[in-house]
Amino acid sequence: MKRPLRRLCPILLSVVMCVTFVGCNVVRLTLNTPLTQNDVAFIVPGKTTLADVITKLGTPDSITDSNTGVVATYRFLDMRYSRINFGWLLKPWSPVDTDLIISRTGLGTDAFELLCDSNWVVTHQSFLRHLSGPRFNPYPF
Amino acid sequence: MLFFKPLTGIVIVLVLATAQGCALSRGTLGEDIKSESVEAIKKATTTKDEVLALLGAPDRLLQVNGRDVFQYYRYDAKVGSLLLILINFSRVSVKSDDLFVILNREGIVEDVISSKRTEGLEFRFWPFGE
Repeated sequence: MKRPLRRLCPILLSVVMCVTFVGCNVVRLTLNTPLTQNDVAFIVPGKTTLADVITKLGTPDSITDSNTGVVATYRFLDMRYSRINFGWLLKPWSPVDTDLIISRTGLGTDAFELLCDSNWVVTHQSFLRHLSGPRFNPYPF
Repeated sequence: MLFFKPLTGIVIVLVLATAQGCALSRGTLGEDIKSESVEAIKKATTTKDEVLALLGAPDRLLQVNGRDVFQYYRYDAKVGSLLLILINFSRVSVKSDDLFVILNREGIVEDVISSKRTEGLEFRFWPFGE
């Protein structure tokens, strides 16, 4: 009697796991290609011009004025969303569609900023907030 | 070789059984910035009026370094969704084309900065990795 139960356990477990993961969503949104420290290693403050940067990295997303010169900004975003609907577990037995959803969204934003003088020579460069990318984790608590 | 045939068949059956469907969507913001129009703008020659005639009014007008800067942009988003029985995967990729036309105090083009990031934009389904 013990043997059939032992065989049945993995099957039951996998069925429960499969039913649990039904109604599971994984979504990712990326805006522009994230820049790394290696991508911007060629920039030498006081030497490199904005034109050199644009040749290698492309056009910045914005150019704004400041008291000390021009600020060029490259922006990028990485959003991760995951969701599980445990209500699907009751589907075979419930006459109505019940939902028990847990979900979580992680928004990783960063920007690379360049400060240029009036001759378009880069004087300072820095990442705004170099955030580690969010993870796919639906647990919201 | 004979060994792989049933295996391939099983894989195909499994994929067909689990794939409920897939979805492809696309969204754009703004007009396409035509390369011919950008190439027609010559540094130290083209005037502000000619830029406006070629590209229309800018999306943003900036004052930078004592110069007028016309900014034109276009966003392109591609969404790929793979709808399986057990799990759904979606990936949204957004990129932009930007054009900056820098005009001097006399209203003559001083510099043109442009790049087309959307050219390499692809439909992607797999949300993990890069």
